[in-house]
Amino acid sequence: MTALPHLVRHIARMLPWATLLAGCLTSIALFTVLARVAVVEHDTTVLDQGTVRLCLLPAVAALAFVVRAQFRPLTLVTPVPAWVTSAGQLLLTVPVLVLTCWVQLRILALATGSHPPPADPTYALAVQLLGWATLPVAAAACVARSRYADLGGAIAAPITFVLIAVASYTPGIGKFLVRPDAMLHSIVTGWSAIAAAALTVTCLAMRDSWHRYARVRSRQRQPRPDRVRGGTQRQDAPVGS
Amino acid sequence: MTTTGSATMSTRTRAGTVPGGAPWRAVLNLAKVEAWFLVRSPLVLAGLVSGLVTIWAWFWLNPAQPMWWVADWRIGAAQLILAMTVLFAAQLAAGRPRRDGMADLYASFPATASTRTAAHLAGLAGVLPASLVLAGGGVALVQLRHPIGTPNLMVLFAGVVLVLAAGAAGTAIGTRFPHPLAGLLGALGLFLPVVLETALPGSAMWLVPWHLHPDELGWIPGRLAGYPPAGLHAAYLAGGAVLAGTVALALTTRGVRARFRALLTAAGAVGAAVLCLTGVLQARPVPVAGLNRLTAETANPISAERCTTASHVRYCVFPEFGQDLSQFEAPVSDLLALLPARPGPLTVEQVLLVDFNDSHLTYGYSQQQVQRWDADSSASISSSVIGLLVGQWPASGNLADADFQVALATAVWAVRISPVTGTGQCVALNQAREAISIWLAILAAHPPAAKLQRSLGWPGGSGSPIQVGNTVVSAWGYPYAYQVTFPGTQFTEAGYLLAKAMTRLPEAKVRQVLTDRWATWLNPRTIDAQLAAALGIALPKTPAPVRASGPVQLPFSVCTS
Repeated sequence: MTALPHLVRHIARMLPWATLLAGCLTSIALFTVLARVAVVEHDTTVLDQGTVRLCLLPAVAALAFVVRAQFRPLTLVTPVPAWVTSAGQLLLTVPVLVLTCWVQLRILALATGSHPPPADPTYALAVQLLGWATLPVAAAACVARSRYADLGGAIAAPITFVLIAVASYTPGIGKFLVRPDAMLHSIVTGWSAIAAAALTVTCLAMRDSWHRYARVRSRQRQPRPDRVRGGTQRQDAPVGS
Repeated sequence: MTTTGSATMSTRTRAGTVPGGAPWRAVLNLAKVEAWFLVRSPLVLAGLVSGLVTIWAWFWLNPAQPMWWVADWRIGAAQLILAMTVLFAAQLAAGRPRRDGMADLYASFPATASTRTAAHLAGLAGVLPASLVLAGGGVALVQLRHPIGTPNLMVLFAGVVLVLAAGAAGTAIGTRFPHPLAGLLGALGLFLPVVLETALPGSAMWLVPWHLHPDELGWIPGRLAGYPPAGLHAAYLAGGAVLAGTVALALTTRGVRARFRALLTAAGAVGAAVLCLTGVLQARPVPVAGLNRLTAETANPISAERCTTASHVRYCVFPEFGQDLSQFEAPVSDLLALLPARPGPLTVEQVLLVDFNDSHLTYGYSQQQVQRWDADSSASISSSVIGLLVGQWPASGNLADADFQVALATAVWAVRISPVTGTGQCVALNQAREAISIWLAILAAHPPAAKLQRSLGWPGGSGSPIQVGNTVVSAWGYPYAYQVTFPGTQFTEAGYLLAKAMTRLPEAKVRQVLTDRWATWLNPRTIDAQLAAALGIALPKTPAPVRASGPVQLPFSVCTS
């Protein structure tokens, strides 16, 4: 526990703040411009939770760059588990993402004024955003374990966009996951399942030891020390006797 | 992904021409390598495949017959997907030296940063094959659906320019911001304004990279003169590409000759001027002559249509739609062959449903003018006319629903039901001619049995309550994937169940009963029970209307004539 403050400071310093904030601020700026145009044009019907979600795509893209620990080979040899850095960084992004979403919802409320658009309950929006947010994290965590680790975010973000597009525009899938076709309970259930699956994949991908260390360990396992010692004794015995 | 490093090194080691050779030769050599990297870039190939899949989904999952004045813009929208991936790939390539922390190493190479940037820009030729394949593949996919009209080459060309402009923008972004997120945000910057274009005022619609939802083009029976501004939009995108390329070069030129810098400034100014000028020109309203003509065609379609007569039926279609004439004739002729007598002349004509209040079509005009167009375009359809909506006819091979709708509309005319009265729509409630019309249509068009079965209890159609006069009854509706005829007719479940019972009897027997007392059956006072008795069957039991599906629709009147 005494190491915790040091660890938090280390994790906070390692977080790619510029990337994360660039994504979040782009989202807010985009939605602000859109809301401004809608207000000037006296047509705020285009502003709803769907627009909020769409404008959050830049922030979601930024999440793809968060999960990668810069000095993972170094942290692997420290007493602290290697996944702590990535997991801690992800936890730190949660309030930033929530704040971004809250700001957009405030802008939406201000822009629509006395004619608020029909909206899903907050938990439904939260679950959808959780699903969107966990997709790039899972993809980036998987890429980070491959030889393309340097391009983790650059690969994970397009994959996420494709998955979101497929979920939104494929008729067979969209009617379960996206308004207006989908029912509320199917949206919540569907995106919860996606988020759970993505988090499971993330946990599996972030767990300790890279595959190359695993190979080294398995090679070390073959000549076990006791057998080596015993063998030596057995071999040495006739010589010494 | 592309690798600028290997390209630079290979050029140097292979030829050794860079130090002493002309700069353009170095640019050319590097550009060849960069172009090759782009040709086989996974991102570019993914964009190409996604674009083709999108075109396929738009035109092959949608039953409607494509019209080229909409389809060519759709192909351009698929180019937008490729443009996004090209932008990202170009940004990754241009930003690699700084992103990998090897800027100093690259600075030691004979090829300068500006030479490499120029090579990146010239290397964008590597995305041309993907863009051309996408355009050609899109045209082929649309052509296989037997579309109306011919493609506009300028629109297809504008799609290719869009891809090149996105690549130039990606290079400009990459030279200044090497982080991959910058490329992703650039790609989203290309995409989000297009998706959210409905939020933009009509005049600003053409300032976004592509017009993704050309719904207004789907209402018109051909190309409007001067709209959409395809040539201007291609020039607008080209101006953007020149400006982006100039910015990319300007960001990497240090210590170059004043002449080159002046050239760069001039190119940037030309690009900006073209961008601004074409931007302004595109925002001009749709020519008033075109909108006036559209109003006249909506109010009185026959004025612009070509008419032919076959089997005493007049068919009128817009000039572009001549190839569909035989498809319109088939279900009408089949139904007419079943009739004992015809009530009078029949005209089958194409009609337009244009929303003049859509700002994408009428931006730049006063509200009064728009209301005038809206009022002038309203037309009432005579009971001797069957209207076929432009843009709704299905592609060949998918005609079952359309045939049944046309047959049903013809049968309604044959039994003298006028579904639209002066006060609104009417329903032939408990009138024998309602069941007869449905039976005739089933016999003429042979709709799929499974779909007829599904027509009972169809959400939003059958089973839902409708108020006819003072009575609430269950409605019946065929589960169409699309509406072809205009206006539609409302039927009751009682009428359909009696027609269904009639289909189980021998056809000759039913025809004999109908022929013997045809005038009686067409009388609005002849009820279902009399028809059932004449056929020797029991009147089917009609279930009570389902009350749970919301409020009762606006009341219909009972058809009395």
